[in-house]
Amino acid sequence: MTPMQSRRVAPLIALAVFALLPLVLREGFYLDLLLFTFMYAAMSVGWDIMGGYAGYVSLGHVGFFGLGSYVAGLLVVHFGIPVFLSAPFVGLLAAVVGAGLGWVSLRARGTSFVIVTLTFTYVVQLLALNLRGLTGGSSGLYLPLLNLPADLVILPFYYSMLGLLVVAILVSIAIRRSKFGLGLIAIREEEGKADGSGVNTSLYKILAFAISVSFAGAAGALHAQYLNYVDPDLAFELIITLNLIIMSLVGSRGTVWGPVLGAFILQPLSQYLIYITPSQIAGQVHLIALGVILVLVVMFMPDGIITTYGTWRRGRAKSRPADPERARLPGEAV
Amino acid sequence: MSGELLVQSVVLGLLTGGVYALTASGLTLIFGIMRVVNVAHAAMIVMSAYLSWWLFQTLGLDPILSIAVVVPVFFALGALVHRVILRRLSGRDLTLTVLVTFGFAIILEGLQGTLFSSNFQAIKTSYSLNSFELFGIYVPLVRLLSGAVALGLLGGLYLVLGRTDLGRAIRATTQDPRTATLVGVNIERVTMLAFALGVSMAAAGGPLLGMLFAFYPSTHWLWIGKLLAIVVLGGLGSLRGTFVAAIVLGLAEQVMNVTISPDWAPLVFYGFLFGVLIVRPQGLFGTLARESL
Repeated sequence: MTPMQSRRVAPLIALAVFALLPLVLREGFYLDLLLFTFMYAAMSVGWDIMGGYAGYVSLGHVGFFGLGSYVAGLLVVHFGIPVFLSAPFVGLLAAVVGAGLGWVSLRARGTSFVIVTLTFTYVVQLLALNLRGLTGGSSGLYLPLLNLPADLVILPFYYSMLGLLVVAILVSIAIRRSKFGLGLIAIREEEGKADGSGVNTSLYKILAFAISVSFAGAAGALHAQYLNYVDPDLAFELIITLNLIIMSLVGSRGTVWGPVLGAFILQPLSQYLIYITPSQIAGQVHLIALGVILVLVVMFMPDGIITTYGTWRRGRAKSRPADPERARLPGEAV
Repeated sequence: MSGELLVQSVVLGLLTGGVYALTASGLTLIFGIMRVVNVAHAAMIVMSAYLSWWLFQTLGLDPILSIAVVVPVFFALGALVHRVILRRLSGRDLTLTVLVTFGFAIILEGLQGTLFSSNFQAIKTSYSLNSFELFGIYVPLVRLLSGAVALGLLGGLYLVLGRTDLGRAIRATTQDPRTATLVGVNIERVTMLAFALGVSMAAAGGPLLGMLFAFYPSTHWLWIGKLLAIVVLGGLGSLRGTFVAAIVLGLAEQVMNVTISPDWAPLVFYGFLFGVLIVRPQGLFGTLARESL
């Protein structure tokens, strides 16, 4: 098999393995770990469409995750619509809200986007906290349990998160191969020139952000039902945004598989770290560790594993042609 | 709302606005010179509040006097962080620097939780509950003190920026780094000192805000939202605008507190933030071109 073929087949094999895994692996612990890895990978792939392709760093993805959690939770509680049905529409709603937010912050360049995305989270959190009649305020919202035996209840979530990840990857690949994706990368490289060469930069950025946050919205919906509960602290933990960013950076920003790789490295590591630290400080130690990783990665390996490895390998075999599918990172030679 | 209550909330709003102005000035100063939002700014404020609380609990040091301790410590730490970390990122993609400050915020929050637990804290001195009456309005003593100290420190900052060589160099670098280099400004050094100065402003605000409001490790996410609203309304990078915006928002928050509900008061900040970005992205006194937003 040529490298090209093996790269096409490997993801399918991995997918088949993950799809069949619950048949042999019945331990909830591992399925739970994988489920969260799929969830973070899907959201991180989404984050990277904006943060990696277009180069606009969002600090507010958890706002859409929380929004998704609440909307899906309210739909279950008030209208009895199961999350597995509503999740795609919740994702769509997140995209619409994201487009609105993008309209506010993306007409200009740079800083206002950081500010608006960061603040958006607090706005939604404030609404969740204060609209007590609707959301239950700080005591949270309880979702009815799924009517399934205890050892099977994890499966619908496992498969929907896996499905979400597959969709996210397919969308990311499609964007990467399209004119739209090229436009986003042009925006990242030199926004003024992209504008000058006929890319409708505002529209592209708004669209990219809408697609980017839709996965966070849908993941939030599924997550709310998985815990059967949602409250303003749980739904808007900034550590979720932090995770998405780190996973994308570690794996490689601006690549399809970087965020996936990052999630499969960091999520198990995070869980292990929490497992080995005394429980009263585990949360704090986890925070510090993630913060330190973020700073170190930005300082010493901002290109991430995939791109750094690719550069190294091409350095060894200069004759081989560059991979056309990989997005270039800022500052990297053409 | 009765007339007296209105006057009272105006006075309280002005005093709180003064403290906001002090802390937000640091944020806008750092943005002006580095073109980067210091996401960790409020986490630094909370860290300083914790230090002041700890100094008060263990040594009985008055929180206002503790400013004289925390400011030099944070100035040195700011200079160090810039020299070791931020300086290496200069000239590269600015979003990387934003991400690093995001990392700092998270690290500080985790450190606070580890060192001081995640419970609510407030700096309660012997005079914390005192208040006095003037022309029929009641003003808590800590409000007056913190407002006055904040305005005093802010005056000092303006003197430093307006009258000293360092201040002139900072303003020159903010306006046009390349020309500043031409006239002999050592940009790296000036940027480091400006960053340290901005961090010191955050540190000075810590004990003051810690006397006014309860805090816990994740409070900084709430405070950074407020500060960002202030600097955006003021026009990022504009000290004068930041001062006016801080007073305006301090007032608006106070009026919201007494008329509708303290629960909704943060919405004042977010409402202004989004409103300004939609209507007038350069803020009230936008000195930096819209491009840099």
